[in-house]
Amino acid sequence: MTQPALLSRNDENADGTAARVVAARKSYGSGDSEVVALDGVSVGFHAGAFTAIMGPSGSGKSTLMHCMAGLDTLTSGQAFVGETDLATLSDRQRTLLRRDRLGFVFQAFNLVPTLTAEENITLPGDLAGGRLDREWFDTVVTTLKLGDRLDHRPSQLSGGQQQRVAVARALVSRPDVVFGDEPTGALDSRTSTELLRFLRSAVDDLAQTVVMVTHDPVAASYADRVVFLADGTIVDELLDPTRDTVLETMKRLGD
Amino acid sequence: MVKLSLRSLLMHKLRLFLTVAAVTVGVAFVSGTFVLSDTMSKAFDELYEGLTKGTDVAVRAEAAYSDITTQGQLRPLDESLVEVVRDVPGVEVAQGSLTGFALILDKDGEPIQPGGAPTLGASTSADERLAGAFSYRDGRPPSGADEVALDAASAAKAGYTVGEEVGIVFEEGRQTFEVVGVVGFGETDSLAGATMAAFDTATAQQLLGKTGTVDEIAVKAADGVSAEELRDDIAAALPEGVEALTGREVAEEGSAAVREGLGLFTNILLVFAGVSLLVGSFVIWNTFNVLVAQRRREVALLRAVGATRPQVLGGIVIEALVIGLVSAAVGLLAGIGLAVGIRELLAAIGIEVPTTSAAVEPRTVVAALLVGVVVTVVAAVAPAWGATRVAPVEALREATPVSGGIGPVRRTVGLVLLLAGLAGLVACAVVGNQPVLTGVSTLVGFAGLVTSGPLLARGMARLADRGRRGGGWRLAARNIARAPRRSAATALALTIGLTVVSAVAVTAASTKTSLADIVADGNRSDLILKPASTGAGGMSPGAAAELRDLDELDAVVEARFSGAQVDGSSSYVVGMPLEGLPEVADLGIASGSLDDFSRGSMLLGVKQAEAFGLEPGDDITVTFPETGDVELTVAATFERDAIVGSAYLVSLDDFAANVTSRLDSAVLLSHADGTGSEEAKQAVEAAVADYPNVKVSDPEELTKDAQAQVDQMLGIVTALLLLAVVVAILGIVNTLVLSVVERTRELGLMRAVGATRKQVRTVVRRESVLMSLLGALTGIALGTAAGIALSRSLADQGVTSLEVPVGTLALYLVVAAVVGVLAAIGPARRASRVDVLRAITVE
Repeated sequence: MTQPALLSRNDENADGTAARVVAARKSYGSGDSEVVALDGVSVGFHAGAFTAIMGPSGSGKSTLMHCMAGLDTLTSGQAFVGETDLATLSDRQRTLLRRDRLGFVFQAFNLVPTLTAEENITLPGDLAGGRLDREWFDTVVTTLKLGDRLDHRPSQLSGGQQQRVAVARALVSRPDVVFGDEPTGALDSRTSTELLRFLRSAVDDLAQTVVMVTHDPVAASYADRVVFLADGTIVDELLDPTRDTVLETMKRLGD
Repeated sequence: MVKLSLRSLLMHKLRLFLTVAAVTVGVAFVSGTFVLSDTMSKAFDELYEGLTKGTDVAVRAEAAYSDITTQGQLRPLDESLVEVVRDVPGVEVAQGSLTGFALILDKDGEPIQPGGAPTLGASTSADERLAGAFSYRDGRPPSGADEVALDAASAAKAGYTVGEEVGIVFEEGRQTFEVVGVVGFGETDSLAGATMAAFDTATAQQLLGKTGTVDEIAVKAADGVSAEELRDDIAAALPEGVEALTGREVAEEGSAAVREGLGLFTNILLVFAGVSLLVGSFVIWNTFNVLVAQRRREVALLRAVGATRPQVLGGIVIEALVIGLVSAAVGLLAGIGLAVGIRELLAAIGIEVPTTSAAVEPRTVVAALLVGVVVTVVAAVAPAWGATRVAPVEALREATPVSGGIGPVRRTVGLVLLLAGLAGLVACAVVGNQPVLTGVSTLVGFAGLVTSGPLLARGMARLADRGRRGGGWRLAARNIARAPRRSAATALALTIGLTVVSAVAVTAASTKTSLADIVADGNRSDLILKPASTGAGGMSPGAAAELRDLDELDAVVEARFSGAQVDGSSSYVVGMPLEGLPEVADLGIASGSLDDFSRGSMLLGVKQAEAFGLEPGDDITVTFPETGDVELTVAATFERDAIVGSAYLVSLDDFAANVTSRLDSAVLLSHADGTGSEEAKQAVEAAVADYPNVKVSDPEELTKDAQAQVDQMLGIVTALLLLAVVVAILGIVNTLVLSVVERTRELGLMRAVGATRKQVRTVVRRESVLMSLLGALTGIALGTAAGIALSRSLADQGVTSLEVPVGTLALYLVVAAVVGVLAAIGPARRASRVDVLRAITVE
C-alpha cells in the first residue's frame, strides 16, 4: 500500500492481465473548453481477481471503465482486453467483443423488460446465435440462487433479484472480464451485501475476473485490490482492502 | 396551459409532422371532393346559363317523366309549331332548334370522342338575338348543305381551321363538309366537353334525321313583355303534350339534373374521404395515446405541483385543437390541388369532366375545418382523459409506460361483434342480394376488430414469439405484446384500407368471371359491334344497315337502350329486332314462346315476371320518357337477361316508335354457313369502314374488353384508397418512432451487452412488419368475406359467379410486408444510433 505506483507499473506487463490501459487519455471538447476525464492512466487488471475502482465524482472512474469495456473510445492511448487493442476495432467488432468476451452489470436498468429472467441471462449468447453451455448456466444460476425466478419478468423481480440476474447474464458467457458500474448503487445494504458476496464467489469459486466501479467503501472492501482515481489519474492503490483502510485512504486523498 | 401545450407541440417536430399529415390527407380528400363537384356544377351552371341567355321562353314536348336515366330525351315537335308560336302576341322572335348525333372525325379519320360527353350535331341560330353565349371565334355561320361550324375545343384538338374539309359521321353514313366557322360558348371552348358540329337548320334537319321537325323552339319576348307572361300566353296556344317554360326554368332544370348526377359521384368520393378520415383518426388516437404515455411523468409533475384534472385535459385538447386546425388548413389547400388530380385521373380513363375556375364554396372551407378539428379532438379526448388519471406519485417513478391488460368485457364484446359480423357476412353470402346487410355486417365486423384488436395483436405476437431466442422476431413480438392496444390501433389503420381494397378486388374478380360466363352461356353470335369508345352514346344505325347486304352474314341484330319505367319504377328497356334474334343469343326462354314475340309484345325476365306476378299473355305497361304509357303483352319470360343487358326486351319496331334516337348500343352478328370467321370479320370491317367509331370484336375480345373495364374501375378505386394506405403507413412510422424513443435505454442496454446495430434495426423492422401483417391479414380476411357477400348481393345486377382472387390478395399481403419494411427504415436507423453510454448511465 506504500508502493502503489510500482504495482501499477508492473501491470504494464501483459502477463496475467485480463484487461489493461496504457497512457489512456480521454478528453471532451477542445481548446479552452477542453475537459480531461482521463489524463494518462496506465493500469492492468489481473485475471481471476476482483478489482474495485474508486474515486470521487468526476474522477474519471466511470470513463475509465467505459473505455476499457469498449463502450467508449479513448482520445489517445491504448486499451486492451486480453491482447486485443480496442482502438483497432470497428464499432461492430467492439460490439461483438462486448457480446462474446465481456460481461456487464450496471447500476440500474440492467434488464430488457420484455424478456424473462432466463431470456435476459442468455441474451448475449442468443444474440450471437451460439449454443448455451447448460451445465455452466445451471452452475451460475444455482450460485446466484435464481433457480425459481427464471420465468419471471424483470417487473416481477425485486431490485436485488434484478441485479443478480444481471450478474448471471454477465457470467454465463464465461467472459474475460465482468465490468460492474456501481452494481450495488441502487440497492439497500442487505441486498447490496448479498450481491457483493455473489461477485466475490464468482471470482473465488467460478474463477471469473471482475472489475467494479464503486464509491462505497464497503463494496470496495470485497475486492482483492482497490485502485483510486482523482482528476483523471491513478493516485493510490490498496491490496486486500478492508472498509477501514479504504475509508482511511479516501480521507487521506480528500485532504 | 396554452403556452405549455404549444411549446410541447413544437418540441416534437417529427411527431407533429406525422400527425398533421394523417389528418391532412383525410381533409384534403373531403375538400378536394367538394371543390371538384362544386367546380363541375359551376361549369354546368355557367353552361346552361350561357345557352339559355337571350331565350325568354322555350317550347318543347312534354316528357312522360324525366330522371337521370332519360338524359332529357324529348319527342321532336312538328316544324309548323314554330309559326304558331311566332303568331302569339308579345313574341319578338321565335326559332326552332334541333340536336342529334354527329361524330366529328379528325384529319386521320379517327373520331374525336370525348370521354363521357355527347357528340352533338346541332342547328345554328339564324337570329343573333337568340344566339345566347354561342359566338363565332372565327369565320361565319354555316349556310347550305356542305358547310359546318365546329366547336372551338374540337377544332383545336384536331387542328381544323376555317376553309378546311372535315368528315362527320351521322346516324346514316358519313359526309364531308367545309369548316366555315369556329364556335365558342362564352369563355369556354366546348359545351361541358361535348363536341359540336353546327349546321343551318334545314341541313341539320336532314342530317340528323329530323326532317320537318324541331326539338325545341326558342322565343325572345318583345320589349315590355315578361317571360312569365309570355310563357303563359304561348302555353295557351300550344297543343296537348307540348309545354312552354321560361329560359330560367330550363336552365334551373338542367342544372338540377346535373347536380343530381354529380350528387352520386360526390357521394362515392366522400365515401373514400370517409375511409381516409377514419384511418387518420386511428393514427391520431394512437399518437395521442403514446404522447400521453410518454408524458406521464410530466403530467404527474404538473399534477403534483397543483394542476387540476380539467387543466391537464384542457392542455391536451388544446394541442389537439391546434393540430386539427393546422391540418385542416393544410388539407384544404391540398384538397384544391387534389381536385385537379382527381379530374386528371378521371380524364386518364376517358371521363372528361367540364371545368372552370376552381370553386371553393364557404361550405367547403367550413367542412374542411370542422372535419379536421372535430376528428382530431375527438380522437384525442379519450387518451387525454386517460392522462388526467395519472397519479402525482408517478412523477417520482421511473418506468417505461406499459398499457394495461385487456379486460374480460372487452374480450367478450370484441369477439361477439367479430363473430356477429362474420356470421352476418356468411348469411349475406348464402342468401344473396343483401347489399345493406352486407354493409352493416362489415361495419359490425370492423367494430369487432377494433374492440378485439389488442387480443389479435397479442395472438400475433404469440405466434412470432416462437422465433429463435434473441432473434429479431421474438424481441419484436415481445414489444408488440407489451403495448397490444397501440400495436392494434396502428395495424387497424391499415386494416381499413385493405378491407375495402380486398372487398373490391373480390367483387371485381367475380364480376369478370360473370362477364365471361354470360358470354359463354347465352351468346350465339360470332361477331359483335360495339362503340369504340366506352363513353359514346352509340353507333350509327347506318353501320348495321351496311351489314344486312353481306352474304357472309346470316343474322344482323342490333340492340338499342332507352330509359323507361316499367310498372312505375325506372329501368332500362332494350329494343331488338325479331328476325335473327335466336341465331345470336340463347335467351333461355322459361315460359311462353319466342314465336309469340312480335310488335306489341315483349320478353320479360323471369325474376321480374315473378315479382310482378305476370305470365305470358298478360299485359304490362311500359312508360317511355318521350311518349308515355305503352301497353305491351308478355310474349315469353326468359332467364338470361344479362346477355342482352336488360330484363325488358321489346321489339325494335316498338322501340323506334317510342324513342327518337336511333343509335345502336351493340350489333350482334352470326356468320352464314360455310363462312370462315376471319373471312367474315374482314368483310364486316370493310363494310363499316366509314364508321370509325365502330369496333368489331369476337365474343372473346368483347369479354376481355369488358373485363379490362372492370380492371380499370378496380384501378381507380385502388388509387383512391392508396391515400388511406399512405396515412396508415404514416401511422406505423409514428408508432415506431415513439416506441423507439420510449425504449432508448433498453436499446442502449442491448447494444451494451452485444447487440449489433444491424440486430437492433432488425428488431424494429420486424416489429413494423408484424404490425403491417396484422393489419393486412385482418383487412384481407374481413375484406374477402365482405367481398364475397357483396358479390352475392350483386347477383341481380349480373354478378352471377363468385371468384376470390387469391393471387391478388396474396400480393396485397406481400405489399403490406414490404410497406412494413419501408416504414421501419427511419425508426430502425434511429434505434441503431442510440447512444449506449447515455442509455446505461443513471442521469
